[in-house]
Amino acid sequence: MTQPAEVHTSLFVTCIVDQLYPQVGVSVVNVLRRHGVKLDFPSDQTCCGQPLFNSGYTQLARQLGKRVIDSFSLSDYVVVPSGSCAAMLKVFYRELFSGDPDYGEKAEQLAGKVFEFSEFLVKVLGIEDAGACFPATATYHSSCHLLREMEVRQEPLLLLEKVEGLELRPLPQAETCCGFGGTFSVKYPHISEGMMEDKIANVLATGADTLISCDMSCLMHIGGGMSRQGQPVRVRHIAEILEGQEETGGAGNG
Amino acid sequence: MVEIQNVNSLGIPKDAFLSHVRRSLGRTEGLAPTPPYHRLAENLAVLEGQATEIRQRLEEKSGEVLDRFADTARLRSWNVFRTTSAEDAVGYVVELARNLSVTQAARSEQPVFARLPLDSALQAEGIECVTVAQDEASARDRVRSGIIESGLGITGADYAVAETGSVVVLPRKGLSRLVSLVPPVHLAMVRTEDLVESLDDVFLLRRLEYYRNGEEMGSYLNFITGPSRTADIEMKLVVGVHGPKEVHLVLLG
Amino acid sequence: MADVKTRDFIAASGAAMEDVNLRRALRQVGGGFNEARLDAIEEVSWEAWEEWREEARRIKIHTLDHLDHYLEMLYEQVTKAGGQVHFARDAEQANAIVSEIAQSRGVKIATKSKSMVSEELDLNRTLEAIGVDVYETDLGEYIIQLAEETPSHLVAPALHKTKEQVSELFHEKLGVPLTDDIEEMARVARETLRSKFLSADLGISGANFLVAETGSLVIITNEGNGRLCTSAPRIHIGITGMEKVIPSLQDLSIFLRLLPRSATGQRLTSYVSMVTGPRRSEDEDGPEEFHLVLVDNGRSRLLADPDLREALYCIRCGACLNICPVYGKIGGHAYGWVYPGPIGAIVSPTLVGLKEAKDLPHASSLCGACREVCPIKINIPRMLLHLRHRLAESPSDTENSSTLTERQAARGYTWLMSNPAALSAAGSVAKLVQKPFSSEGKIDKRVSLPLVSRWTAARDMPTLAGRSFRQIWADELESES
Repeated sequence: MTQPAEVHTSLFVTCIVDQLYPQVGVSVVNVLRRHGVKLDFPSDQTCCGQPLFNSGYTQLARQLGKRVIDSFSLSDYVVVPSGSCAAMLKVFYRELFSGDPDYGEKAEQLAGKVFEFSEFLVKVLGIEDAGACFPATATYHSSCHLLREMEVRQEPLLLLEKVEGLELRPLPQAETCCGFGGTFSVKYPHISEGMMEDKIANVLATGADTLISCDMSCLMHIGGGMSRQGQPVRVRHIAEILEGQEETGGAGNG
Repeated sequence: MVEIQNVNSLGIPKDAFLSHVRRSLGRTEGLAPTPPYHRLAENLAVLEGQATEIRQRLEEKSGEVLDRFADTARLRSWNVFRTTSAEDAVGYVVELARNLSVTQAARSEQPVFARLPLDSALQAEGIECVTVAQDEASARDRVRSGIIESGLGITGADYAVAETGSVVVLPRKGLSRLVSLVPPVHLAMVRTEDLVESLDDVFLLRRLEYYRNGEEMGSYLNFITGPSRTADIEMKLVVGVHGPKEVHLVLLG
Repeated sequence: MADVKTRDFIAASGAAMEDVNLRRALRQVGGGFNEARLDAIEEVSWEAWEEWREEARRIKIHTLDHLDHYLEMLYEQVTKAGGQVHFARDAEQANAIVSEIAQSRGVKIATKSKSMVSEELDLNRTLEAIGVDVYETDLGEYIIQLAEETPSHLVAPALHKTKEQVSELFHEKLGVPLTDDIEEMARVARETLRSKFLSADLGISGANFLVAETGSLVIITNEGNGRLCTSAPRIHIGITGMEKVIPSLQDLSIFLRLLPRSATGQRLTSYVSMVTGPRRSEDEDGPEEFHLVLVDNGRSRLLADPDLREALYCIRCGACLNICPVYGKIGGHAYGWVYPGPIGAIVSPTLVGLKEAKDLPHASSLCGACREVCPIKINIPRMLLHLRHRLAESPSDTENSSTLTERQAARGYTWLMSNPAALSAAGSVAKLVQKPFSSEGKIDKRVSLPLVSRWTAARDMPTLAGRSFRQIWADELESES
């Protein structure tokens, strides 16, 4: 299906994807375009302000929030390849700007337009089978903000279940935080690492070779730990899985 | 007797305390909620109407409620014995006492026991039954030590709650709380007319009684739901800490 | 007031994570309590559970918004039932009230049922100082009293202790043989405490709920110690926080459904005891005097802050502790004061002083699991954020704990992120800087850089990508659209 030309769908790529994992952004673009989405990328976008917000710097977070709200004021949809950053735009801005004579209303408007990537595919585009092929044995980690702020539980799993060649194994204690928590991970590294070790043990218990998530921040944390431990498990953003095609996926029977 | 002094001079006066609470709430004067809290706005007639509904409901499905109570009680670790025969009910108690090898049992005075020849049946087995009702205060200590030495405590119930498998006891002449608590085994005798469906029923009926009795609640209201238990060491369940380790329900009716 | 060790959070949490016994105990909690909770909810259905939570929250919102009104009502009803109500602004006043009652009535032995407020006041120490023998009677509380420790969990105070440790403690303090049989340990406690119950002059309890309409105090226990404490001695003192009041007797049902299920997965605890005034003349047993001590001790600060008021809705079920992955790693003692876990990270800083406990609001990954399990739907993560905000940006010196460096870093970050051109330039510089410190796309773990080394101690860190997404977009992707 193709969206009408007058529908403006914008990508909010997130800092971590922009600077550290640009290939994930490319996958997001490719998947969305393959499904007929006309995508734009407001180039003055930067950080959503969540690190400041979570550290208590509410006033500074508002400064960045206003930029984001303005950057996406003309968009009909804002797609975010991260449950956490999407929650900032959709949920926390409303609180940050609640009662603000100018930005209160704008934040409300933005909230109605923001979708996490997998949520956008399922809820807006109505896609459950993205036509992808990705031969792997995988398990899925749901980020806390995606689950509890965005309330996106089933969408990523619906999409992953339809991926050809992908064997999805349930992750024990799937809804327990991995311990990243943004600044938490450097403020209390010992606690964060302890939580990470539990998460890694659960990932390893599945026997999966690939860990999938909708949030690169969790994957940077869990993947960084697994890499340090020498564990042979790769981490992938869900967009990278959904981008997989038979000819690029490597395996496949054709 | 130590002379009772007024200790209100310590702490701070009520008015000072409440005005600080008010300031914290951003007010300078006391304000009753408007509209008033819905439950506290109900009058006696409303409560009586609701109580009538409860009783009608219970009458219509008493069998169902009795079944549910028995099921729930078993899940809460009561040993449940159902019978329609007073004789069998007494027989159950006697057999229990015999199996426990108790020489003394403690029993409260409650209406359910009026038509049960329980004491004589126990005596026939050589088991003395200590009853609580004593007119003289001087006898109270004797009764208390009698309860403490008993191997079995026997009580009735003011309510039996199907939702939770609980027995509710209220203060009355001839009923000591210690009977259901201190002996290692407790047996409660429940009649069909004691049954209610839910916690809501209990609190509504008690509220009605409270207003009928000129706002007198009675000094206590206890729910007993199975044996005494703890999991305070390594989360392992142990029954019988400070209260009974074994509890029985005889459902009569 | 109980000793405040909240400043030691970082060291204490680090030490806790090295404690093998504690780790074992905490693993049991996480699984046990939470699975039982889920089973108990599924039994009644999630729809019913949600309705109960909404209803309970509505009741708490209403009551706290009119707290003065309901405290007045409670006072009148307790007094009418023959009890005495005392008001304590702080811990010192509360302790003085209880001491005065004990001294004026010649109390020698006091038995206590579990009360978190009394822990907050350090009431045992006060009573012991005036020569009263105080016995905690909840098994867990008794264990930690013998061990001269403090509770590490709201409903399972001795959770941090193994049965071996308890056995050694009983052996040392009570002279009983060592055993690995938990039932035997419970039996020892029962026998030791039974004589105390029956000889005590004073029974002290907390309160789970206070009913304004009838002037009743409600306690919820499993062991039966609460019933004994409130019925056997000649004096009963109930001591509790002022927020425990609810309007009507009929409001109790909803809370009795929520609390045990949330705490231990029980449908109802073994005992629910409601006390209204002292023994009446026609009663066969019960105390001659009933006193209720209502404690503020900083709660009015929570009441006064609209962003924190809902912390007073807490019914101390401990569900947020059981689900919290941070509590699950460090246990309760590391939090440094009476109330641990997510709710403690809000209550403790407000009661002991925000700056004194500045690490606690940050001791959370903000995962939100606590809010999801809370029977009163208390929005704990939002309150943690609010406290972080006060620590970072409050104009008040008594709250603001941010350093100049932190503030500069936050402002610098904001400036950089407000200027995309500067951000690109910074990215180019960073890519040059990272080169000598990295290989195979990872930052070298031996590199010691501020913050970075806190990450790389146990985790590899990716290097900045050769081309950022925005560059790739400009170079390749934009033209395709």
